[in-house]
Amino acid sequence: MKLIRILVVALFTVSCGRASTSERTDHKSDDSAATSGETRQPVATPEPATQPNQGEKPAAALTPVAEQAKATGVNPDAAVLADFKSRIDAYMKLRKEAVKDAPRLKETKDPAKIKAAQDAMSIQIRAARANATHGDIFTPEITAKFRRLLAPELKGDEGRDAKAIIKDDAPTNIPFKVNAKYPEGAPVPTVPASLLVNLPTLPEPLQFRIIEKHLILLDEDADIIVDYALNIIK
Amino acid sequence: MHRLLFIAVLVSTLPLPVAAQELRLPNKPGSVKFAVIGDTGTGDRNQLAIANELASWRTRYPFDFAVMMGDNIYGGERPSDFDKKFAIPYKPLLDAGVKFYAALGNHDDPALQRNYKPFNMNGERFYSFRPQNGVRFFALDSNYVDKAQLEWLDKELAASGSGWKIMFFHHPLYSSGETHGSAEQQRALLEPLFLKHGVNVVLSGHEHFYERIKPQKGIAYFIIGSSAKLRKGDLQKSDLTAFGDDGEYAFMLMEIAGDELFFQTINQSGKTIDVGSVKRVGKAEPGSGRSAQPVVPQAKPSPAQPGPRQSK
Repeated sequence: MKLIRILVVALFTVSCGRASTSERTDHKSDDSAATSGETRQPVATPEPATQPNQGEKPAAALTPVAEQAKATGVNPDAAVLADFKSRIDAYMKLRKEAVKDAPRLKETKDPAKIKAAQDAMSIQIRAARANATHGDIFTPEITAKFRRLLAPELKGDEGRDAKAIIKDDAPTNIPFKVNAKYPEGAPVPTVPASLLVNLPTLPEPLQFRIIEKHLILLDEDADIIVDYALNIIK
Repeated sequence: MHRLLFIAVLVSTLPLPVAAQELRLPNKPGSVKFAVIGDTGTGDRNQLAIANELASWRTRYPFDFAVMMGDNIYGGERPSDFDKKFAIPYKPLLDAGVKFYAALGNHDDPALQRNYKPFNMNGERFYSFRPQNGVRFFALDSNYVDKAQLEWLDKELAASGSGWKIMFFHHPLYSSGETHGSAEQQRALLEPLFLKHGVNVVLSGHEHFYERIKPQKGIAYFIIGSSAKLRKGDLQKSDLTAFGDDGEYAFMLMEIAGDELFFQTINQSGKTIDVGSVKRVGKAEPGSGRSAQPVVPQAKPSPAQPGPRQSK
């Protein structure tokens, strides 16, 4: 336990010292602490794909948005969802700026042109988010909130049904890595409707997808994994 | 003034002809003629066999468009795959001006396919089109039934003055398949809207067989996910089943003439395996913002007859 505490403090210190990006907020360091199962890399290099079985620790002790909200008399749950929305908005703003000069994804009978536009868009977004890391969007408290939102839907017959849908034609080779490309030819798993209606609505082209027990935030147009939350399904 | 009108969807089956390759649709001038295919994108000989049958039947039955139930391109989706798994098999139809309207399946790359012009999705995951006054098709993305899609569907259905409202999407809300079965999660969200706005017919794929479901709450359901893939023995005929076939690749031809929708299901050898009609009783009021609520089959036993005997 003592060793874990030391590691948490060390990660907190390191992350505080890192250059912040436009998407990052002050409590980013807490996210790093709560995802201590992962390997963290210097910001200039891409992070390795996380192995889902490494798990992710609950963030119960570190909930700055909720705590701040409570202190100011705001509903903590609403504050966490508002925080999620602001992170999504920040991504969309960055994305819009990043792709403004890229070829537009538009209808054509030539699939090569669609693919080229998609690839160009993907490159621009990745470049703009070169410093993005796991937890930029799915902070520990957002992840914890989503787990709570989904938990009731995973019980009983409906829950079994939802889990069966997730397993149906499930892809097996999805990299849990920020900015990674969703593998070409891999099925895009159906999201159980009962789970989806309990999650916040996302602006196009963002979508939630559930891979095994994990949630990914997918930029559908660019085929990029924007962020992911491990073990969202119990 | 909104007047509540009543539509009953009655499914009747007709005796199969001696010559099973005979067209059993009215083929009336001015009717809406279309084909239905599902789970097609393999690029293999089975897809080609059905594609060839479609082209052959079109010489007798000049359908204007085809609706696709999803899984339009399996596996890789490189430009060459779009050729191999779509453009080449259906070239005779495309060259003849037949339009294809696709819905997305769980094996489809949404960004690529909705922007692929020959799929006529207008860059959208879900969309509608009206081939003729009084008939509107709605393509849904059943992989991702989110609030945005539900709100769109509610508004779109409410604004449609069409008497015929036909849904098509990948996951069947009712199914007797052993592998997948009924998509109950999607059903819980979609069916109330279908009933509220008087949807008549729902077409789906995903299951690699053909199944005609007994009308459910006044709506006729068909599964046609065997236009290139087949899962033999997967159809566990149930109380839902009016007729089913998991032993043959298949496609459907449909025709809407007035208040009746006629269907003919044909296998890879050109033999008819199912035939019948869906009757819409009553009329919608165009521009009323509201069409009909099917009530008869809710109140009475299903009018559906057992499936027709197999043609020889």
